[in-house]
Amino acid sequence: MTRAEIERAVLAWIAEGVDAPADDARFESLALPLFRLQYERGAAYRRLCDVFSVDPRRVRRWQDVPAVPTGAFKEARIAIFPPEATVRTFRTSGSTTDARGALHLDTLALYDASLLATFGAFLCPERERIRFLVLAPSAAEAPDSSLSYMFERAIGAFGTPDSRFCVQAGEWDPDTLCAELAGLRAPVLLTGTAFAFVHLLDRLEARGETLALPKGTRVMETGGFKGRSRELTREALHGSISARLGMPRARIVNQYGMCELGSQFYEPSLRTGTATDVKFVPPWVRTRAIDPATLEDVAPGEAGVLVHFDLANTGSALAVMTSDLGVLVDGGFRVLGRLRGAEARGCSIAADALLDPARAAP
Amino acid sequence: MRELAELAEARAALEPDRVIAALAGAFELWRAPGSAWRAQLAREHGVYSPQVVDVGIVAALADWTADVLARLRARELRAPFASPRVTAVWLAGSIPPAAFSAIALPLLTGSALYVKPASADPLSARLFAASLREVDPGVAAAVRIGSDAKALEECDAVIAHGSDETIAAIRARIGVGRPFVGYGHKVSLAAIGAGVDPVSAAQKLARDVALWDGRGCLSPAWALVSDSPRGRAAEVARALAAAFEELEETLPRGELVPAESAELLELRARAAVREGTRLELAAGASSWTVVLEGGEVRPPAGTLRFLSVVPVNDLDGVARFCAPLAPHLSCVGHAGFGSEVPRLASLAVDAGASRLCALGRMQLPPLDWNHDGQGPLRPLVRWLDVEP
Repeated sequence: MTRAEIERAVLAWIAEGVDAPADDARFESLALPLFRLQYERGAAYRRLCDVFSVDPRRVRRWQDVPAVPTGAFKEARIAIFPPEATVRTFRTSGSTTDARGALHLDTLALYDASLLATFGAFLCPERERIRFLVLAPSAAEAPDSSLSYMFERAIGAFGTPDSRFCVQAGEWDPDTLCAELAGLRAPVLLTGTAFAFVHLLDRLEARGETLALPKGTRVMETGGFKGRSRELTREALHGSISARLGMPRARIVNQYGMCELGSQFYEPSLRTGTATDVKFVPPWVRTRAIDPATLEDVAPGEAGVLVHFDLANTGSALAVMTSDLGVLVDGGFRVLGRLRGAEARGCSIAADALLDPARAAP
Repeated sequence: MRELAELAEARAALEPDRVIAALAGAFELWRAPGSAWRAQLAREHGVYSPQVVDVGIVAALADWTADVLARLRARELRAPFASPRVTAVWLAGSIPPAAFSAIALPLLTGSALYVKPASADPLSARLFAASLREVDPGVAAAVRIGSDAKALEECDAVIAHGSDETIAAIRARIGVGRPFVGYGHKVSLAAIGAGVDPVSAAQKLARDVALWDGRGCLSPAWALVSDSPRGRAAEVARALAAAFEELEETLPRGELVPAESAELLELRARAAVREGTRLELAAGASSWTVVLEGGEVRPPAGTLRFLSVVPVNDLDGVARFCAPLAPHLSCVGHAGFGSEVPRLASLAVDAGASRLCALGRMQLPPLDWNHDGQGPLRPLVRWLDVEP
């Protein structure tokens, strides 16, 4: 299959929506040609396969496609097209460019299709436009942020014209937002990074305010804390959002995404009306929980390192190994936390710390 | 805490000569041929292979004698001074000799100790305290192993080991007015000049990595190798791979937890995708990895017997590599620099290093080493200057 043929087939699958059958044979019929294409055209990916003695001719199951750890996206251009064909580059958050992973795209067709199919299904299932209040900068302000891009595209598809990004020129005024939220008469989609929500909640607490946001309002948080606020567990964060904003737990959704993937994972709480911490895996994606020592699947119900196989990643790498520990459950997976490597049982500094001035500061 | 009052009373036994004799006796128990203490720790430690614990302790404690303790005390502590009644010692990491010295040194000032063992190594501190009891129960009574965080509030001084975040959190908790010494996590490297046989340098370097599996702050995370004549760095990398393979028998690596396996997988993948690298891997296993870099780059710091060989043209290359590592650089192990060692020392100290040693001795810090560049005893005590 050519790349164009693969992409047409993936787009067709995405167009069927998140409720399309997660057909394994269909997945494999696209994953294996895509892997071979990425091996042939992706110099960095080929080097990785060669070092681990993977012969693409002998890879017969999608599970055996070598995964690229997210850290490798910091080291090399993981792409199967020339740099001049790049139309967009998303970078992981970080303090320096050399320590940031990058996803290079020569087409946004699959990225957009996957993004809108899942965002729509899990946050705007009624398909009615809603006002977005985004606790993040716009894509114009943060052109390499996949999150800002996602919000911009989602607003275009599902937002009302008065939707807005609350972070401007790198700053936001929580008091203005608190007042705005207190005065809301119509539902909104309040969304942003987890650390931005912590700042908002802290501000509301400082003002002694507890709100009751209009019926139909929904919240989506994502992206972790990255040392930019105090850290809360998902449970604690959702509990605080629920209490402080007057939101039912089932209308608070965590999105799990990463810069290196073309697709994102959502908790289907809003869609089903039942709060859950399970992340839904779209039909065109597969997720494994593996033992990193053997690369085999862990036993059902056991925790393993999450590896995602995303057919929307046509231009980079189909399989991406995360630094997250998770467990597979019916319909998706639960995230249990970040892996902590040798630093936890040693006294040397972790691999990346010295590349990050934020940690290297005295 | 009642325990702290008991410790303060036990402090009466901490006469300098008695403490020195007790510590020296305990060290001797640990390094003696067939030591039951060493054997127990080797068997039960869990992070390292029994061979690494056995060899690592004998090698590290070889020069930890009564003379060294006495000289250190004389060098650092001259009366009149006041030492803390009880010092809280918060340990981190998993390297047994580091736990031993963390107990021995503050005891040498005359302070009793409340010691919280590291979560990754609950045994080393406990066994060392028990060995001290075997030598001198009176001195050992001034050491209590526990985990009550209230000790941080109530002790007269605090010594903490750990990540920068841990140190900062404890420092904030201590506040001002009490001595606080923090030892954050560090990183070390090896530098190999032109004047050494590549095979012999690689063997020493491999041992420096293999002892404590590359986990320690004194473990070399990179090897900067003079690539003159061109191809020499590749020669060192090949010799290093052979040396690691040989050590599989005598100093096998310990078991990894899943997060560590994932970290190694990622380190290998990152090296694999970097342009110009060449990897040598343990056959079918993750037990060691040598990466020959394509040029003067700064790859991620290696750990768990993963080592990047970075070719450099000259000492300027070493300087460029080291400079940004401050303040986290700890030790530079070197070989083959001949008359250029003073310049190497100068650039190492500029880059924040507190130790320059011969290759093969990186895991053998002297007991009186100025850890992180500060005297091991002085920061704990309060001096009285008596003017004439």
